[in-house]
Amino acid sequence: MATDGKFSLQELMAVCAAREIRNDDVVFVGTGLPMLGSMLAKRTHAPDAVLVYESGVVDARPKRTPWSIGDGCLVPDSAMVAGLLEVFGLLLQRGRVSVGFLGAAQIDPYGNLNSSVIGEYYAAKVRLPGSGGGNDIGSLAHRTVIMMGQDKRKFVEKVDYITTPGFLAGPGAREAAGLPRGGPDAVISNLGVYRFDAQSKRIFLETYHPGVTLDQVKENVQWALAVAPYAAETKPPHADELRLLRDELDPDGIFLGGG
Amino acid sequence: MGVSEAVSTFVKDGIRLRSGGIGLRKPFALLNEVVRQKKRDLTFLLAGWTEDADLIVGAGCAPRLEGSYFGLEALGLSHNYRRAFEQGIPQPIKIEEYSNFGMTMRFMAAALGLPFMPIKSHLGSDLVKYNPLLAKKAAVIDCPFTGEKVMLLPACQADVAFVHAQRADGQGNVQIWGQWAEDQWGCGASKVVVAEVEEIVDEDIVRRDPNRTILPAMMVTAIVETPFGAHPYQCQGYYDFDRPFRRMYAEMTRTRQGFEQYLQDWVFGPGSHDGYLKKLGQDRLDALRAKPMFSEPVNYGY
Repeated sequence: MATDGKFSLQELMAVCAAREIRNDDVVFVGTGLPMLGSMLAKRTHAPDAVLVYESGVVDARPKRTPWSIGDGCLVPDSAMVAGLLEVFGLLLQRGRVSVGFLGAAQIDPYGNLNSSVIGEYYAAKVRLPGSGGGNDIGSLAHRTVIMMGQDKRKFVEKVDYITTPGFLAGPGAREAAGLPRGGPDAVISNLGVYRFDAQSKRIFLETYHPGVTLDQVKENVQWALAVAPYAAETKPPHADELRLLRDELDPDGIFLGGG
Repeated sequence: MGVSEAVSTFVKDGIRLRSGGIGLRKPFALLNEVVRQKKRDLTFLLAGWTEDADLIVGAGCAPRLEGSYFGLEALGLSHNYRRAFEQGIPQPIKIEEYSNFGMTMRFMAAALGLPFMPIKSHLGSDLVKYNPLLAKKAAVIDCPFTGEKVMLLPACQADVAFVHAQRADGQGNVQIWGQWAEDQWGCGASKVVVAEVEEIVDEDIVRRDPNRTILPAMMVTAIVETPFGAHPYQCQGYYDFDRPFRRMYAEMTRTRQGFEQYLQDWVFGPGSHDGYLKKLGQDRLDALRAKPMFSEPVNYGY
């Protein structure tokens, strides 16, 4: 594994997720590493960030790591509890969610995501969970952060199915489709962190994780990967961040492994 | 009414059945009974499916689904779903896919007596490109007022909706607290609503706190008292997830043989919800019970 032995890739990815959250963000949180990243951000640089969960919780302050987007531990100490309609409608569709997290099995250079099928739709090789709230978050949040594993079968020239729109066919395509706002802002993989070019809307590498070479990153992408002229190694986690993750946010290793 | 009678009375082969809850309050007491009574040819409806649909698909009850998510969350992919979709085991299935918000809006349309709902997601994606079940699953229009593109999704009616709630009174007024998911809309979209509840309480208790009622009695057909009916899921204020049970389910369902063993051990073997609870044992149930975290009473005075 590409670590220096002091932290795991899961821990680094959770810290990278936390870094994407600003203090004034309203965050639509999914399960897993984004959940840990969001909780870590609130405990460090973004205490005022508001976390919303799709089963109906607004401004959650859970006292343990939620096991599910519907976990009852999200309810006590939250600001409001309602249902899907309120979170997706009043908040997300209305434009009140600044950042949403997404995962996927495949991504293309425009950040379009597939979490539905591998192979032909009517003769799927692998049947995946489908959209869930992903399509809604990718369509309606002001920006999205994508977290996923990386290899050549996942970072593909063309996804088998567009579950969640990124920049679709490129500049102007989201607007032409009728989407009101948004698009991917960052991709955090197990090899590096990526951004999207403001003009071409195509993905480029910004940082590669400690222990990973630039060649390794390029080898695990199906297209000719653009690299930022300022590309550098991903900043490793602080000791404080690791302590919070290990001792307080996921002591049982549910999402960081070993649980 | 008991669980067995509720299922035999209302769930007929071939109906459109809606499950309940997303990540919580899953109506497992009723769903296990649907499997026991070997209901067939159902169209299964919901926004967020987990073990509930995995069980129903694995048991061969539902060849058609309309929904949006089908996995076991932190526990990974849904094995019965994959076997059915990829290999046709125990039977081939077809799914009409939307997003979680899309399914909520489809239920809401039916619940409000409307033929469709507009939505600003789904646009530009492949979600509306394939329609294995519905003749017309969505339409994009130019808004007649602003000219902007809007997606229209058709109403999703159910014949029977299940919901797991904390409590109801004898009249059938159903109260929920904690996350609502899309239960109010999913039940509103259905001709028949069967609510399984932790407790049937005095009418006074409901009427002293009417803000907590999400379904008035006129929207509810039958109430079934099923303590721990959402196990292995949570019910706010009553009990937590049974994590080892959910891990066991994910593990056993990796193979068809393992799933058949699960059905024998936990569905057919126990024979009823009471039998299921007996098999779990009082100690295990007691360990799951929720901590007391009461809110202040509010003044409804005027």
